[in-house]
Amino acid sequence: MKKIMNILFLSCLKASELIEKKLHLKLSRKEKIKLNVHKAMCKACTLYEHQSEFLEKGIAKHLNKKSEEIDSQQLKKQITEKISSL
Amino acid sequence: MTENKVLLSNWVSEFTDELYSWAVFKVSDSELAQDLVQDTFLVAAEKIENFRGDSSPKTWLFSILKNKIIDVYRKKTNKPVNIENDVLSKFFDAAGAWENDRVPKNWNEEEGHLLDDSEFQLVLAKCLDALPEKWSTCVRLKYLSEKKGEEICQEVGIALTNYWQIVHRAKLQLRNCIETNWFNE
Repeated sequence: MKKIMNILFLSCLKASELIEKKLHLKLSRKEKIKLNVHKAMCKACTLYEHQSEFLEKGIAKHLNKKSEEIDSQQLKKQITEKISSL
Repeated sequence: MTENKVLLSNWVSEFTDELYSWAVFKVSDSELAQDLVQDTFLVAAEKIENFRGDSSPKTWLFSILKNKIIDVYRKKTNKPVNIENDVLSKFFDAAGAWENDRVPKNWNEEEGHLLDDSEFQLVLAKCLDALPEKWSTCVRLKYLSEKKGEEICQEVGIALTNYWQIVHRAKLQLRNCIETNWFNE
C-alpha cells in the first residue's frame, strides 16, 4: 500500500528533492502536480518547503554581505614586486 | 624595467581594486581572492605579448580572472565526498518517509526579523561552513554568479541531476544544523 502511495503521491524524500529542484530549476507539469498533491497531504514537507525558502534568503543575505575591506596598497605593492622580479 | 612591465604595473594600480572586489564577491574568501588577483597579473605578464589591444586591458584582465575562478570551483567540485550516501538514510526511512526524529518541526519564529539577527547569521554561517566543501560550493554558486543553474553546472562540470541532488543533501544538513543549534537551544 505504502509503495503505491509513493508512486502516486511521492515519498517525502522525493518531495523534498523536488522542492529543492524547484528553487533552482523549473519543474515539469507532472512534477508540479505530484508535489502539490503531496504537500496537500503532508504537513512536514509543507514546513520543509517554507523553511527551505527561508534558508535560501538567509544564504543569499549571508553571501551578499559587504566583503572585508583590505589594504589594497599592500596587495598592489606585492603584485608589482612579483612582476618586476619575473 | 621593460616597457611591458611598466604597462603592467600601471594596470596593477588601476585595476587591482575592481578585480579584487569582483573576485571576493565570487569566492567569498578574502585571501583566496587576493591570490587570484595576483595570479591574474602573473598570467597577464606571461601572455602580454599576445595582448593586441583588441579588447580593453580591463576586459582582458577580467577574462583571465574569470578563468581562474572557474578553475577554483572545478577543483572544489571534483573532490570526492564520501558521506554523501549516508545523509539521505539519516533523514528518511527505507520507504522515503521522514525519520521520526528528523521530521521538520515548526520553528515558531518571526522569520523576517530573524535574518537581521546577527547571532542567527553567525549560526547560519557556521552551519554553511560545516558542510562538505563540494556541497557548500553548490549551495553558494547560485548566489555568487548571476548565472542560472544550467550554466553553473556546465562551468563546474557537474551533471544537472547531480547538482540539485547535492543541493538537496546540503539543504537537509543545513536545515538540521540550524534547527539543532538555533531553534532547539
